Amino acid sequence: MTPQTLIREVHIEATPEIVFDVVSSPQHLEQWWPDEASFAPDAAGYLRFGDCSQGGKKVGISVVEATPFRLFAFRWTQEIGSVPTAKNSLLVRFELEPSGSGTVLTMVESGFDDRDLDDERVLAEYQDHESGWDHFLGRLPAYAASVVVTR
Amino acid sequence: MTSPLAIDDDLWSALGDPTRRRMLDLLLAAGAGTATSLSGSLPVTRQAVAKHLVVLERSGLVRVEVSGRERRYRVDDDQLGRAVAQLSAVGSAWDARLNRIKRIAEAIEGEKS
Repeated sequence: MTPQTLIREVHIEATPEIVFDVVSSPQHLEQWWPDEASFAPDAAGYLRFGDCSQGGKKVGISVVEATPFRLFAFRWTQEIGSVPTAKNSLLVRFELEPSGSGTVLTMVESGFDDRDLDDERVLAEYQDHESGWDHFLGRLPAYAASVVVTR
Repeated sequence: MTSPLAIDDDLWSALGDPTRRRMLDLLLAAGAGTATSLSGSLPVTRQAVAKHLVVLERSGLVRVEVSGRERRYRVDDDQLGRAVAQLSAVGSAWDARLNRIKRIAEAIEGEKS
């Protein structure tokens, strides 16, 4: 995991069928995230946050993979209508694992690091380097670990 | 409402590039630097470094001091702190969302039984 990847895990007392529906259907998304969600598994769409006449914003969303009751992955934050890439969007993966009578839901958001091959080479060259930046960003995984919800 | 949209776009994209983050590393370690001194520690040209410095300056992450012909750059601690806070905010935003997902799914499960 790079410091630019966010991982969260939560145990939910509901079946994977229900949890999958909650994380993947636009109607449910509107209950826990944007004010409006409009997309289909095979068609890119948008998420609207707030009132567009009052400084709100619409961003693109595009489903990458939807395997019922196991995995729902999408890219978002790209401009509406543009092809989502690692350069212009974030990747969110919801992984579902049955657990007792409930589900363990793992959320992984990545793509904060819009590197290309050259940059990866640069990064590899310096990955041993102990640096101020590592010190700052290094706090993130610790922070992430401290707020993982496991009930 | 919490979403990454609350994040300063310039700041976010300035940090999105590994070379620029590496430049911040070097500036933090050395206290200050010029395009020439930075390019000596990076596998990119002085011109490329100068372009990256413009992006960093625009985002407020570095400040320039001009003395004679020299442009010396320093990291702006306040702005870097703000950037770190915004990255952390992305994390807490997801915590809030996952709590809502949990509540909704468990309510549906409850109705079913």
